[in-house]
Amino acid sequence: MTSTRLQRRDLLHRWEGNPAITVEDVPFRANTVFNGTPVVTENGVYLLLRVEGQRGYSFFALARSSDGLHFAIDEEPAMLPASEGHFALYEKKGIEDPRITVIDGICHVMYTAVGTCGPRIALAKTHDYINYERIALVSEPGNKDGILFPRRINGRYARLDRPLGLGRGSIWVSYSPDLINWGDSEVVITPRPGYWDDFRVGASVTPMETREGWLEIYHGVKMTSAGPIYRIGVVLLDLDDPSKVIKRGDRPILSPREEYERIGDVGNVCFASGAVLSDNGDMKIYYGAADTSICIATCTLDQILKDGF
Amino acid sequence: MVVTRRSGFVKRRNQDIVYRWDGNPLISICDLDFKCSDVHNAGAVSFKDKIFLLVTIEHLSGQRSIHLARPDTDGYYQVDRTPFLKPSTNSKYKQHESHGVLDARVTFLEGTYYIVYNSLGEHGFRLALAKTKDFDSIERVGLISEVDTKAGALFPARIKGRYARLERPGYGSSIWITYSDDLIYWGSSELVISPREGFWDASRIGVGAPPIEIEQGWLVLYYGVKDTSAGPIYRVGTVILDRQEPANVIGRANIPILSPRGTCERIGDVPNVVFPIGAVIDSNGYLDIFYGASNSCICVGTTTVEEIIKNCIESEQEY
Repeated sequence: MTSTRLQRRDLLHRWEGNPAITVEDVPFRANTVFNGTPVVTENGVYLLLRVEGQRGYSFFALARSSDGLHFAIDEEPAMLPASEGHFALYEKKGIEDPRITVIDGICHVMYTAVGTCGPRIALAKTHDYINYERIALVSEPGNKDGILFPRRINGRYARLDRPLGLGRGSIWVSYSPDLINWGDSEVVITPRPGYWDDFRVGASVTPMETREGWLEIYHGVKMTSAGPIYRIGVVLLDLDDPSKVIKRGDRPILSPREEYERIGDVGNVCFASGAVLSDNGDMKIYYGAADTSICIATCTLDQILKDGF
Repeated sequence: MVVTRRSGFVKRRNQDIVYRWDGNPLISICDLDFKCSDVHNAGAVSFKDKIFLLVTIEHLSGQRSIHLARPDTDGYYQVDRTPFLKPSTNSKYKQHESHGVLDARVTFLEGTYYIVYNSLGEHGFRLALAKTKDFDSIERVGLISEVDTKAGALFPARIKGRYARLERPGYGSSIWITYSDDLIYWGSSELVISPREGFWDASRIGVGAPPIEIEQGWLVLYYGVKDTSAGPIYRVGTVILDRQEPANVIGRANIPILSPRGTCERIGDVPNVVFPIGAVIDSNGYLDIFYGASNSCICVGTTTVEEIIKNCIESEQEY
């Protein structure tokens, strides 16, 4: 049970069962499991997990749950790096950080393909969560944290992404008529000097349409002499033009404090990777902790819109 | 113009494949009738039987813009005082061009002259595209790359029905190819060539002049950089790419065709730089290469396409 003293510091409430998924729950040999993206199906909540194998590259596995809290992981990985064809060169060092967006009723997975010439954003789709059909590599190298919006904006598909301009790392929005060709990139938010997110920012959760705008739960990084601290923040974007920021929270909504967030392969990391919003406004946020486990935090949409900013 | 200058190409230095014009530099800031800090990097295009250049001027303020240079009767060039393209004040472009527009690479494609340039703003470099029919007026098409990508050049023909460009994303320091159906939305990026460890182009590479169609495929001049303890050395390299699948390399020369050796190539704001973003081929197979030297002047050299091809295919024997 998390102490009340700790709870008061963060807007999000940590689930008492954290960490929800660790490598002990993976039915095959693996190093770590983190950064899972949820999708609500007729059979409950599925989480597509990033698993880092012991050889050192990442791939995806599927976890299934009836309550969105207790998960069982499939016996075999769901999606492995391409070993042949056009994608092989660009996935040689693994596939990372899947983000699911259901658009036009089809489950799309945007993920980071890591090749010898850097990370790129790639797009796949699935109808059964077991077979994944690659659509295209959709960014130039040096870009990651790509997330598709859940609907077209003024007739065009849109995504958030994170190219490393000037080594800084800002969130941008790019548009496409066909999910293959992309353009019209514009800056959304940049790191803020003197804030908790002054080193890098990146999109984390599939944008949620709310009455006040697109709610984007993002990760912000502060660099210290001992390494980075990853925290979770919120920003509201204009529904018609997501490059326009309506408001941006001054403070993170969750910061690494618990042991499972402080200690791991990459310590001091809370990295949101998806959220499920219930009809009654309750929200479960799934986040990777210390690149070593998957955790869950809860809140309501109203609380975030009221107190997150 | 080119023909009259042809006689003035001096014997090669150190066996370089490119012969330099003995009247170099072709353009230096001493020749300009306005004050500026620097002139560098000339895109070149054959227009109305003359070779026009689009040079980058660094103004005393530090901001850069692109200026048209027209040939004089003596083989030298007159640079317009008014920019042909300057940083836009339009809200769409402003934050991406606030620090300057530079390095115009010109491609004649389907009846229009397209100019891919680097726009430099508060977030870093991006590629932008503009077009002209007459070199009097210019129209912006769009910002066409993600941030951190520079050195873009459009192919002079569609490839398998699609527009294509070469580019240098910051990450990985390699040359990539990207395609488009409409010049606005781009995708299907593929790696073309990377820096080679232990070679003269070990640190970074990027496309120079736009690809030139030859019998064997696409001839591409590129700049290759080797970092030394005293700073980088920029040289000119060559590669031939497959006509239908330019991500496939037909031949890449192991040696540069041009290296900084002359005084104006060795001394300047950025020393030891030869940087070729303009090249024009004539009907006799001569290739005139317009290159910025030490970021401080423009020079010209020439060689034959035949000799370049020979080096791309056979350069294993060179040392």
